[in-house]
Amino acid sequence: MKKKFRGASLVMPDRMYFFVTPALVLFLVFWVYPVLQLFYYSVTNFNGVNYNYDFVGFKNYARIIQEGSLINAIKNTFIYTVIIVVGSNLLGLALAMLLNMKIIGKTVFRTMSYIPALFSAIVVGFIWSYVYMPGSGMLAALLNAVGLDGSTVNLLGNFKTALYSIAVVDIWKNVGTTMIIYLAGLQTVDESLLEAGKIDGCTEWQLIRKIKLPLISATITINVVLNVIAGLKSFDYSFIMTNGGPGKATQTLMYIIFKTAFNDQMMGKASAFSVVSFILIIAITIAMLRFMNKREVEL
Amino acid sequence: MRKKIAKCVLYFLLILYSVVTVMPLLIVVSSSFRTTGNMTSPLSLFIEFSLDSYKAAFTKMNYINEFINSLLTTGGSVIVIVLIATMAAYPIARIKRKSSKMLYYFFIAGLVIPAQMVIVPIAQMFGRLNIPNTRFTPMIMFITCSLPFSTFLYTGFMKGVPVEIEEVAYMEGASLWKRFSQIVFPLLKPATVSVVITQGLWIWNDYFFPMVFVTKRSQYSIPVGMIQFLGDRENPAQWNTLFAACVLCALPLILVFMVLQKQFINGIAAGAVKG
Amino acid sequence: MKKKFLSLVLAAGMTMSLLAGCGNSEATSTQSQDTQAQTAESSEETSSEATEAVAATADDVTITMMFSGVASENDFETEVLPKLIKEKFPNITLEVTKLPDDQYYTALKTKLASGECPDIILVQPKYAGSNSVIELAKAGYLMDLSDLSFLDLAGDAAKEAFTYDGKVYGVAQGVSILGTYYNKNMFDENGLEVPKTWDEFLDCCETLKNAGIQPIVMGDKDAYVMQFGLYQIAANEVYPNNASFDDQLRTGETSFEDEGTWDKVLEMYYELYDKGYVIESSLGLGAAQAIQMFVDGEAAMTFDGSFNAAALTADGKVDFERGYFPLPAVNGDTYASMAPGGGPAVYAGTQHPDEVKAILEYWFDGESPAYQAFASTGNVIITYGYGADQNDAMFDAFLDLYNQGKAWYWCNQAWPSGTENEMESLFGSMIGGQGTTVSDITSGMQMKLEELLEAN
Repeated sequence: MKKKFRGASLVMPDRMYFFVTPALVLFLVFWVYPVLQLFYYSVTNFNGVNYNYDFVGFKNYARIIQEGSLINAIKNTFIYTVIIVVGSNLLGLALAMLLNMKIIGKTVFRTMSYIPALFSAIVVGFIWSYVYMPGSGMLAALLNAVGLDGSTVNLLGNFKTALYSIAVVDIWKNVGTTMIIYLAGLQTVDESLLEAGKIDGCTEWQLIRKIKLPLISATITINVVLNVIAGLKSFDYSFIMTNGGPGKATQTLMYIIFKTAFNDQMMGKASAFSVVSFILIIAITIAMLRFMNKREVEL
Repeated sequence: MRKKIAKCVLYFLLILYSVVTVMPLLIVVSSSFRTTGNMTSPLSLFIEFSLDSYKAAFTKMNYINEFINSLLTTGGSVIVIVLIATMAAYPIARIKRKSSKMLYYFFIAGLVIPAQMVIVPIAQMFGRLNIPNTRFTPMIMFITCSLPFSTFLYTGFMKGVPVEIEEVAYMEGASLWKRFSQIVFPLLKPATVSVVITQGLWIWNDYFFPMVFVTKRSQYSIPVGMIQFLGDRENPAQWNTLFAACVLCALPLILVFMVLQKQFINGIAAGAVKG
Repeated sequence: MKKKFLSLVLAAGMTMSLLAGCGNSEATSTQSQDTQAQTAESSEETSSEATEAVAATADDVTITMMFSGVASENDFETEVLPKLIKEKFPNITLEVTKLPDDQYYTALKTKLASGECPDIILVQPKYAGSNSVIELAKAGYLMDLSDLSFLDLAGDAAKEAFTYDGKVYGVAQGVSILGTYYNKNMFDENGLEVPKTWDEFLDCCETLKNAGIQPIVMGDKDAYVMQFGLYQIAANEVYPNNASFDDQLRTGETSFEDEGTWDKVLEMYYELYDKGYVIESSLGLGAAQAIQMFVDGEAAMTFDGSFNAAALTADGKVDFERGYFPLPAVNGDTYASMAPGGGPAVYAGTQHPDEVKAILEYWFDGESPAYQAFASTGNVIITYGYGADQNDAMFDAFLDLYNQGKAWYWCNQAWPSGTENEMESLFGSMIGGQGTTVSDITSGMQMKLEELLEAN
């Protein structure tokens, strides 16, 4: 490496790198090495308990590509991701815009939409299991109360609705965080620009479309990216609320990796799954970032 | 006139949204104050006031004990994270070299990998290093998993701290450690608030690492204690106790949030926006 | 933000390039396997020494134990047993944790991998589940328990279910039954009797349905409950025709796709759903909720195991008498689906082999207070010692069949773990109206089986 001599090098000597040591050691030992080991397991038939395993080459990869379960899991993960990205962002942005106006009880509304974010995923899973429960759950009770037939509510047991229903739970938990980030972005928008727009006779919609959105495009990117990563890594509600069911309707990538490793006892195959999803997550994130950055410039 | 109507519609929408959001929570709280087993007409809110369910949940969870375990592990992890993440960010932000960049990217790559994927190799590493299972064992993973985000955030903030301040201190003969701990670190307070809140939140709520790395019942944290209620989530006869447990689980964070609301909001926003 | 994600790419690249350097991990793994084998051997040596010495060693020790399941009120494993052990051995503290099944599997695997496994763990007979005794013993994680004195009391079937390579590695907790719980009052009111053939059973359901009663409730959201009905049918329709059907699955002589075997089982079970005998919302109901509905008198029958007897006989909204029968065979020659229940095994790396064995000797000796408390839980069917003559009369019909040798083990005990999950997912798709056919299920099961056999 070329050494650049700058005035700063006396003030900022190389021995500063010692400061990284504790973090680096922890990270290498407990994160990087295990991840590399995962790459290695993906070409073995390790079952997670028995260390007499063999090298099997790319058989695990060939198998998951042939098999339908990967396609199904990818499809479910994509649908889930799209729902939470669109849902959280539209709702979060709308809320943030409302709360950014002069409104009575602003803090109360803000607090209320953020409270679900404080709950542990396991508690959220409990609460919503109750909400969706057929027969005696909250939705059923509400429908009965307004005179409809609540006994037909069976959202988690229906192939068509199960995945959407758990995605709604995720939105419920996370929209508060998304909203707060949008709110912070909106507060950086210069009032005078909006005033100028109003003088030019822009409608409220035009103000949003032409001034506000372009100015907070960086915030939009952040929120979309955060939600996409959360969606691609989704696991909790399939695990706590539906066990991947009914059938395979809510099996996401992370869920199927987990099942393959711990129920089917195929650590090797699960590792191959992990490697594939690792690459997939990174590829999607990059592709999306490219796209969003382009949009940012265009706006 | 049109403006007024618009405003009314807005309020209506906001209130509607709030009701939808809060409804499940209201029912949970209201039912938790009923006697155990009474789940008839859950929509009639707060018609009964009894602490029976709380007593049952409190003893079943061994709440005080779990609370202390949660507090110790969350508190301890957050302190260590702040310390070693700021230290790691210091050279990365200050030394303008390729090696700093590499380190930076290296840490951030950890963000996209979920822990469930890597748990078996991680457990093997614990075995190789002969790390025993105690209430503090999960802290190692809490800290490790928080490093990518925290280092990333601190690096961003540290770049905003003018180098000139440090140059002055250097002229005055301050040591490297002194400069770091007494000049740079205090200036990072907004980032520290953000790290403490975002990381503290997930660590407090995480059930996965404690479930995997704690063996003794007396060393469980609150979220692991919640797992034993899993079989009750579909059993109407147990809901009141389950809901009381849910409230007990979330209560500490809600209280902290109520007191430090401003810091929370700023912390979350800062974390995302500066990033 | 842009920088941040560019960096991810770079980091990914770095990870790939570092991959080249991970070849040595193989060496480490095999090494750790060696150490495991060694610990297993050394613990065997110590264990052969007298276990009686335990009471004399006054050192305070803590023994940890991990079971799966959900702790109930005054739970035997988590509350009663530790108390009784303390009374008998004042120097031994038994710490018990219980986790729901999925969490238990995860915790067990990682604890084994980290070498920090609890001293006593719950294992399932033969190949059943992710904690199957054979897989764990094969990997060297379990201590040989062949010299425990009470094993002979338990009988050969119990021993055999936990044997690998000639050694016994686990203790059966009595026997467990899969059967059909029914509401006697509803049966009486509709002039019904316990059906003797499959057709009579279908008639029963039809009568109940016509009377406006939901014949069967199942909590299929917890897909494992599908096994409760399916294995009963398989005991009647698969194994009587070929007792070694499952062994032959492993050698390839038989297949799930063979005509008249599992296609028949699945078709018969599906008929119950197709005709609306099983509650329509079953896929949205959890196991616990289904039990509650049965107890509350909202359905006439449910398929469940003897291990849930306490919950199924608990008081509900209405009082009624409960009965339990095995699903009848088509030709009336009915077999029971009964097997030695999962039970404790000892981790090979335990620091206190003597104390652990002393605990097990005390727990299962057939007469101690611990055994008596165990026998009184109502969730196990006792085969020897205290309480063997006091099993609930509900189980008599099954025990008769068992004593006549007309009982088959649970199918998944002979299948590689994971096969049953595939069956449940696919059957779930079928009853959820996804167009899945019986032949889709059998071919899916066969594919999974072949894959699992090849992998393990």
